[in-house]
Amino acid sequence: MTTDKLIEPDVSPAHPTKAKAFLKGTLAMMPLTIAVVPWGILAGSFAIEVGLTPIESQAMSAIIFAGAAQLVALGMVKAGIGLWSILITTLLITSRHLLYAMAMRSQINPLPLKWRLTLGFLLTDELFAIANQGKLHKFDPWYALGGGLSFYIGWNLATLLGIVAGNAIENLGELGLDFAIAATFIALVVPTVKKPSILVCVLVSLTLAVVCALFEIQAGLLFAAIAGMTTGVLYAKVTKEAERAEQSATELESTQAQTEADIGTGTKSQTETEIETKSASGEKA
Amino acid sequence: MIWLMIFSMAAVVFISRHLLLEPKLPLRLSKGTQTFLSYSAPAVLTAIFAPIVFVQEGQLDLSLDNSYLICAVVATILALVTRNTLLTTVLSMGLFFFIH
Repeated sequence: MTTDKLIEPDVSPAHPTKAKAFLKGTLAMMPLTIAVVPWGILAGSFAIEVGLTPIESQAMSAIIFAGAAQLVALGMVKAGIGLWSILITTLLITSRHLLYAMAMRSQINPLPLKWRLTLGFLLTDELFAIANQGKLHKFDPWYALGGGLSFYIGWNLATLLGIVAGNAIENLGELGLDFAIAATFIALVVPTVKKPSILVCVLVSLTLAVVCALFEIQAGLLFAAIAGMTTGVLYAKVTKEAERAEQSATELESTQAQTEADIGTGTKSQTETEIETKSASGEKA
Repeated sequence: MIWLMIFSMAAVVFISRHLLLEPKLPLRLSKGTQTFLSYSAPAVLTAIFAPIVFVQEGQLDLSLDNSYLICAVVATILALVTRNTLLTTVLSMGLFFFIH
């Protein structure tokens, strides 16, 4: 990395030095870097099992750097599915990154091109999780670089470990390393289920993915995921989920007005202030 | 063929990550697209892990002998209770390697 040559971005006063911010990002990312190890081992050993050379296996992690997409693509290569199907599936799996980039746009787009390219390349679910925690004005590129780069290195070392193990140990797949995918994804999905419509989306996707797997339908992942997303959106629309959140806030306001009328005073009582706080937080949720 | 796949996949992934970071690009996602995409992570991740958990050797396996299923249920409960990704992953995987 020739980071010294980069034009210096605004360094937040919260981190006196670049190195400190870089280290802070690395440390913030550490639990996620550890959690990705079994998954990286799986990516490496699975690639070997599918028949890739060690160099190709490592290149997947080094160049693509997208765990879910890599594993799904390897499964498709193993099943003899063609490149176009693999690319369309990759596009769907990776489409969530469009949202991450959009959320971080205001923080990253004032930075020079080298920074944008680097952080864009490193923008994973994990980096988004540590770098986009509502610190809009405090965004520090060195912190993001520390988190992103350490995660990249961890992912690639774990892949290397998997390649070595995959070459050395026969039938590594029978150890059930694929449970690492399930465990990681469950841990990532469960906290996202904050609304009934997301639960509906997850259940539809789950059921259809299982049914497609049983009938050995090749595009099962695409079909199940798109059906889940569509059902979720429709459910939210039909039940007016978003509006209801607003409405409950409005209802609180009207209760508040009622209370005001009952009390018969123009001054704010403590209860009113409490209700106001509640409705404000309700709108945010 | 594998190298073509690696580079074309890398292009798709990189473009999706980088595209909207570009200030010169006038592109904005509409409200509807954003809403739709907000469901993509849970839907896609679920569609990937569900067959691993529920389908064993081409058959639906809902029995207590299915250690994938048992550990997945444990992972779900852990994730609900602890809200901690690392703890959920490590504990459920530990249990899995223990009983599998």
